Amino acid sequence: MSVIDLLGIYTAYEGGDKPVIKDLSLSVDRGEYVVIGGPNSAGKTTLLESINGLVKITHGSATVCGLDVARFADTVRTRVGYVIQNFYFDPFTPFTVEQVVMMGRFGRLGLMNRPARADYDAVQRAIALVGIEDLAHKSIGTLSGGQQQKAMIAHNIAKEPEVMMLDEPFSNLDFHAREYLQGVLKELVRTGIPILMVAHAFDGLPDIRIRLVVMNGGKITYDRDCTAGEVDGIIRKECKVNGKC
Amino acid sequence: MLEPLIQNNVVCHALEAMIFASIACSILGVIISRMNLSSIGFTMSHAAFAGAAIGMFLERNAQVAAVVFSMAVAALIGPVSDKAKMAADATLGVLFAMSMAVAIFLISYMEYMGKGLSASALLFGDVISLYREEIYALAAVCCLTIVFVLAFYKEVSAIMFNMKIAEAAGVRVKLVYYMLLFIVALSVALSLNIVGGLLIFVLLVTPASIANQFCFNLKSMFIAAPLVALSVSAIGVWAGFEFTLPIVPLVALLLTGVFALSVMLSFKRRISKKRY
Ligand SMILES: Nc1ncnc2c1ncn2[C@@H]1O[C@H](COP(=O)(O)OP(=O)(O)O)[C@@H](O)[C@H]1O
Ligand SMILES: [Mg+2]
Repeated sequence: MSVIDLLGIYTAYEGGDKPVIKDLSLSVDRGEYVVIGGPNSAGKTTLLESINGLVKITHGSATVCGLDVARFADTVRTRVGYVIQNFYFDPFTPFTVEQVVMMGRFGRLGLMNRPARADYDAVQRAIALVGIEDLAHKSIGTLSGGQQQKAMIAHNIAKEPEVMMLDEPFSNLDFHAREYLQGVLKELVRTGIPILMVAHAFDGLPDIRIRLVVMNGGKITYDRDCTAGEVDGIIRKECKVNGKC
Repeated sequence: MLEPLIQNNVVCHALEAMIFASIACSILGVIISRMNLSSIGFTMSHAAFAGAAIGMFLERNAQVAAVVFSMAVAALIGPVSDKAKMAADATLGVLFAMSMAVAIFLISYMEYMGKGLSASALLFGDVISLYREEIYALAAVCCLTIVFVLAFYKEVSAIMFNMKIAEAAGVRVKLVYYMLLFIVALSVALSLNIVGGLLIFVLLVTPASIANQFCFNLKSMFIAAPLVALSVSAIGVWAGFEFTLPIVPLVALLLTGVFALSVMLSFKRRISKKRY
């Protein structure tokens, strides 16, 4: 069975007259590196949030990690990493990077349980993996946008998820940081964790088999394997064919 | 509880009540001011006020009616914000206006019917004439608040950081958020006729803001805010009896003074002039 199984799902927001996701089906297996592209408002973010139950699907079925998302959304979210697209932490936020990374494990720890040895170890590993040891004790609100993105990636790695979803995670990062973090993601894929990454810039993609999914108007209009070098060209072509981009 | 230490019963009860209200409100204040929910103090104290008016109108116990009605309002905040897709702050505004309208409607009606109602006790409190039961209830709420923060420290800190990120991490955000609203409602309703709506609002906002001037992490804020509130309240009670001043406005003024001082002294606002 696939890790993610979406079958004919529709998603609508309250007040919207049309569904944002329309009759979309998608299966993702272990060890897949899925890059999701497409124009603004194609429904990429909504697709990710349908997978972890942050938005409710109105029709169809969604099964993630063997669980029905509609019924077990909380549990699904403890097992699926999700780096959200937009966030802002004000300079007075009273949490250090290390504390924020630990929060990635709060869901899976469950109500009332305290972090134990294993949790602190996972946090240190995630911080080392992303390469932000020097920021660990800094207040998160005083960091640059790129440093905060790294912290949020570490937060989700510390979670030790079974699926990793990232929504334009590198928008504030320089080329070296992008390349470095792509290497980190490549390692995750190698251990079998499937990755779904929404992106607009495709430099620094790892030299592994990439599954490119292009969305347009709430549907998947392209879904095929390719190499890192081909991604940019295919997206340009796919978007032109469909009018926008 | 402090009887062995303080001979005068009135002073003793006033001090106890102020201490418990200070601790409960200032701890909750650290959470709600971070979450931009400070207006919950307004809303809940007026909800309790409306509840008391309903109680008097129905010729039932006003205190119990105040607690019941504010619970009902607290239970509405979360679902109404969810359903209406509004910021909780806007919902609080709507519920505040509703409570105020209910209270004024009933009070005017009772006046018209020739039944009096002393509203001033609810707005400004009355720490001089307290029943033992009221102090026990406040002590219980104070303990409940502390136990809540200790037991759900993880969840509370995650939702104070960012609701959406906490939810994505699989934290049971709604459950903890609704519990928080419930405890705030209970604290406000029980403190209302003791310290009054004005001081409740001050206790919810000011000690947390003072702590925020100096503390870089959450734990120290949770310790500093109640310590500040408690010390200032104790000084206020002492000065009030010593110099026969009205205690509640005095404590509110003292806390505001400490806040002004802390803004001036805060090292968080200092800008380094170093050149290297
Ligand atoms: N919270 C929301 N409420 C109503 N409509 C929304 C909401 N979020 C997104 N939408 C709408 O859904 C569509 C898809 O949005 P989104 O999934 O964010 O697109 P993408 O991430 O591909 O840019 C857009 O037309 C947007 O206006
Ligand atoms: Mg998006």
